[in-house]
Amino acid sequence: MSTVTVTLVQVDGEVITIEDAPVGESLMEVARSRGVDGILGDCGGGCACATCHVYVDPAWEAKVGKPDDIEEMTLDMVSHVTRDNSRLSCQIKLAPELDGLRVNVAPAD
Amino acid sequence: MSTNNESARLDSCPVAGHEPSLASASLKDPELRAHPNEFYWTMRHRDPVHFDEGIGMWLVSRFEDLQAVFADPVVFSVEAGFKDSYAKGFFDEFKAILEAEGGGFFPDAIMTDPPEHTRVRKLMEQAFTAHRVKQLEPEITDVVSGLIDRFADQGHADGVSDFAVPMTIEIICAQLGIREFDPEKIQRWSLAVTAQISQMQDREAMVRNAKDICDLQNFLIAEIRKRQQTPQDDLLSDLIHARAEDEAENTLTFEEVVSLARALMIAGNETTATALGNLLYFLATRPEMQRELYEHIDDDRYTTRFVEELLRLEPPVRGLARTTTREVELGGVTLPAGAHMLLLYASANDDETVFECPRKFDMARKNIGRQMAFGGGVHRCVGLSLARMEVKVAAREFVRRLKDIRLDMPVEDVRYLPTVATRSIEHLPLTFSKR
Repeated sequence: MSTVTVTLVQVDGEVITIEDAPVGESLMEVARSRGVDGILGDCGGGCACATCHVYVDPAWEAKVGKPDDIEEMTLDMVSHVTRDNSRLSCQIKLAPELDGLRVNVAPAD
Repeated sequence: MSTNNESARLDSCPVAGHEPSLASASLKDPELRAHPNEFYWTMRHRDPVHFDEGIGMWLVSRFEDLQAVFADPVVFSVEAGFKDSYAKGFFDEFKAILEAEGGGFFPDAIMTDPPEHTRVRKLMEQAFTAHRVKQLEPEITDVVSGLIDRFADQGHADGVSDFAVPMTIEIICAQLGIREFDPEKIQRWSLAVTAQISQMQDREAMVRNAKDICDLQNFLIAEIRKRQQTPQDDLLSDLIHARAEDEAENTLTFEEVVSLARALMIAGNETTATALGNLLYFLATRPEMQRELYEHIDDDRYTTRFVEELLRLEPPVRGLARTTTREVELGGVTLPAGAHMLLLYASANDDETVFECPRKFDMARKNIGRQMAFGGGVHRCVGLSLARMEVKVAAREFVRRLKDIRLDMPVEDVRYLPTVATRSIEHLPLTFSKR
């Protein structure tokens, strides 16, 4: 299976780079399995709990794309911390064109 | 002094300032269970991890302490808690009845700890994503419309027995693929299962409930047998035949399938029915909200937020149990190993350090999604999207078709089921007129 490299910046500033993230998995699954702080994924990737919220690096926004209506609705529940580049990482499926992706983990509060 | 300031702040919000004494108060008391918010407030401020002598459990009341518990599902074990509290006091006898008459005693396959929990949970998650549930919206709308049509012309109905209970039963049975069923039986089974965690069951009730659970299991086992040979396009078949690419055998054992079918049928039913009862109570006692909701009926963002704030304000599940697997500190209290705890979701949702003026219904809350009606961590309610959708469609279709919805009883006569686990309205007579 092919892999890509992704980088997540935790709320505390620590930078986590994952060099063997499997294509086809979601960014949430990869981050959670590496214990990235702040990526909980309580609902298991169902786009329902907003505990895997990230800010996509501006350089990657176009490639990652915008949330769909259902994801928008879930993000709206945590609008105290959303920004224009907010995404739920469970809805970002890793693909070869996302090799090098960089995001910041959003705070819970 | 900070406590006094907080009291003053709370007084400015719509909540009474009366402070019950913790020493004499217990969730064993039906009056307190019916109107618990002052008790919760006092706990959060005076003794946030409080031992309730009446039910023999540590009550966890603050948002941040619940978060700490959710973050550590091994120290704060569901499995140990479940074993401790299930059929409390009569467990061996209960088990024997199920083994003799109910096809077996099937421990709950989802009330376990990681890593076992993770395997089973993953299967359930795939069935209930927000995207999958969105596709069910037309089907759910049909069920709701059909139920309302039955009583719309009469001008009166019971919000619980004529609506909330049959609605959730029809929807979960449709998902499981069960076509023929007796809704009254299913409701009785649901109450029998939830009574096992109620802390309120005497021996006579236990025996009666155990027999009902035998009935339920025999019913489910027959449905499962039908699908073992010939899978159908339904959730029950998916559970039976689920298999990962690298697995030679089906992922779930027969015992696990029975226990999950039982959990889905009950969890998908009792708690959502409670939420629907709360919804109708809310609408019936807040005429201005009926009007506002009607004005926004096709605004999905409005209805979604409406449901979330309602779940925060009136969470159907009061709280669920955990048991410590070692000595641990929580909220300034040292809990011994084996401490039996009740995580009060309802109190966390009422925590004014997270939700300003918590007793106020305020859909504009920016952090509305932090509410804990569905619990949190690895055990967060797996059916949350389905539950939200059911409440949303019910709210929408009720006010679309009916107006002047009113309570047909004095508000102080509303009674709740005898359980610590949920806060469920027993009967809710309503009057209304057709729009």
